[in-house]
Amino acid sequence: MGSALVLIFAIMSVTSRKLLRAAIYLLFVLIGVAIFYLVLDYMFLAAVQIVVYMGGIVVLFIFSILLTSHLSEKLQVVKPLEFIIAALVSLIGAGVALSVISTHTFKPVVADSPEITVFEIGTQLLSYGKYGYVLPFEVISVLLLAAMIAAIVIAKREKKPES
Amino acid sequence: MSFSEIFLMRNELLLVTAVLVILIADLSFDADKRKQFYYFSIFLVFIVTVSGLFPAKSGLLFGGMYQTGPLQAMMKNILNFSTLIILLQSWGWFSHVNQQKRIGEFMILLLSTLIGMGYMISSGHFLMFYLGLELATIPLAALAAYDYYNSKSAEAGIKLILLAAFSSGIILFGISLIYAITGTMYFEGAGQLIDGSTLSVLGLVLIFTGLSFKISLVPFHLWAADVYEGSPIALTSYLSVVSKGSAVFILLIVLNTVFASLNDIWDPLIYIIIIITITVGNLFAIRQRNIKRFLAFSSIAQAGFIMLGVINNSAFGVATVVYFMLVYMFSNLAAFGVVSAISAETGKESIDDYKGFYGTNPKLSLVMMLAMFSLAGIPPIAGFFGKFFLFTAAAEKGYYILVLIAVLNTIISLYYYLLIIKTMFIEKSDTPIPFFKSNLPMKISLVICVLGMVITGFTSGVFDYMVEMSDQLFSDMY
Repeated sequence: MGSALVLIFAIMSVTSRKLLRAAIYLLFVLIGVAIFYLVLDYMFLAAVQIVVYMGGIVVLFIFSILLTSHLSEKLQVVKPLEFIIAALVSLIGAGVALSVISTHTFKPVVADSPEITVFEIGTQLLSYGKYGYVLPFEVISVLLLAAMIAAIVIAKREKKPES
Repeated sequence: MSFSEIFLMRNELLLVTAVLVILIADLSFDADKRKQFYYFSIFLVFIVTVSGLFPAKSGLLFGGMYQTGPLQAMMKNILNFSTLIILLQSWGWFSHVNQQKRIGEFMILLLSTLIGMGYMISSGHFLMFYLGLELATIPLAALAAYDYYNSKSAEAGIKLILLAAFSSGIILFGISLIYAITGTMYFEGAGQLIDGSTLSVLGLVLIFTGLSFKISLVPFHLWAADVYEGSPIALTSYLSVVSKGSAVFILLIVLNTVFASLNDIWDPLIYIIIIITITVGNLFAIRQRNIKRFLAFSSIAQAGFIMLGVINNSAFGVATVVYFMLVYMFSNLAAFGVVSAISAETGKESIDDYKGFYGTNPKLSLVMMLAMFSLAGIPPIAGFFGKFFLFTAAAEKGYYILVLIAVLNTIISLYYYLLIIKTMFIEKSDTPIPFFKSNLPMKISLVICVLGMVITGFTSGVFDYMVEMSDQLFSDMY
């Protein structure tokens, strides 16, 4: 059910001609992903998915859509030829990936502890040994700093030069 | 991991420090002291570059997430050094009144992409590889849209960010497939567990495709010309040398470590890509009238030549690529330096404006001529040896037809490089670009480039040293 939800709303989200509706459809896609995590028993990840993506990111999307465009505005209609080519390419891509994945025999994984506690996640995140993630954690902070400065550089308006 | 080991990542640590110092120092230099601020930032980048010249130790940090050695250090040195040269060439553009305020932001974003490239090259884990790639890309989109009152620049920014997102998505899908097969994200573990199944081939193709966007190999090159044309010229040269170089380096490392056992599969893949890349790059370069677009297509063709070395999966192949990148850096940055000087002085970027340039600015024309000769691969200059070694690397694997096609394409490329020289030296114009004096940093950078082009060509020790270093990729670490 989760995957049907994700698929249907993902297609609706990219084909919708109204930006706000696309954002709402995206919300349902993200709910579907949260369902995946719940089915896999990743309780913490599911909670994070709901709080961060639905609570934070989609709301931000909606804010920015409302701030930058008018509600009645519609996106351009895609030309039929472009639509057919794009649909063909994505269908072929999906077909290749699906056929390859379905024919591959995966090695069975021994699931020793289905429930991963927040405590484990926390220690892993700050451990610097093997399977520790402190370095990526720190690099992400540099990435965020750079992204913030980049956003400011683009958003800051100054008066046009005279030349 | 002891405390002293953390200095294995001195390159990245110093760069992060430099970024933070620039961020704070930006506030304390007033509007009339921007030139001092510029020199101060250059000095910081200079320190980082020099620190890379000290002998580099090999080692693993953070349980194998970060791995370094002389080869990685050499790659980072090339990238740092190119960044330094590009920044030296940028004063002409920075000195415009409305840019002076924003030198700090430009430096910070440029250096943070350099941090990302450092982590990417040193990554021993797919997560670090991906994070480094993102850090090396996202700020570039902001820099491409830096001249936001210029619609072409905004277009460049949008194109870059959309394609970066797209290629990152492809790479992530590839990584997820590899993870599904092997159950590990570490390069070392994944390399041992890849079994040659169809799924792992799909993973290889997807990761290769994603990186091809960055290297701008045909058919993933369509963004290059528009982005190169729209971006500020400092960023154009950065994209064509540093960004491309870092992607080539990580491709070398990933192919030769993680996908070493799939060599039979990526060989024909690269074979075809090389042929279409050089041919398309060359044929389109002939038609260009804008010098930035021209250099964009020329750099696409050069990327095809670089792949000739990648196809040889031995220490010699790796060394030819690193050596060619060094030579390519000097030659391409010399060309971009001249273009940048003219663009900052007169705002002209069309090839037709270069008519009669020799009559008014003989020194700059000579530098441009040397750069064009080096890019085309005319013997006494380093570019010849770079190409020669790449051809040898491909021939060593027995791909004689491929080498023949590449040599034929070199002749085509010689034609369009000579067209530029002909425009500057022989054709006359009623309104040539008037004589102007370049500023001091630009002069220094051009002298470095010219010396580099000559010296790296004549000293055989450089190449031997690189072969020696490249051995470690195949021996002690894995």
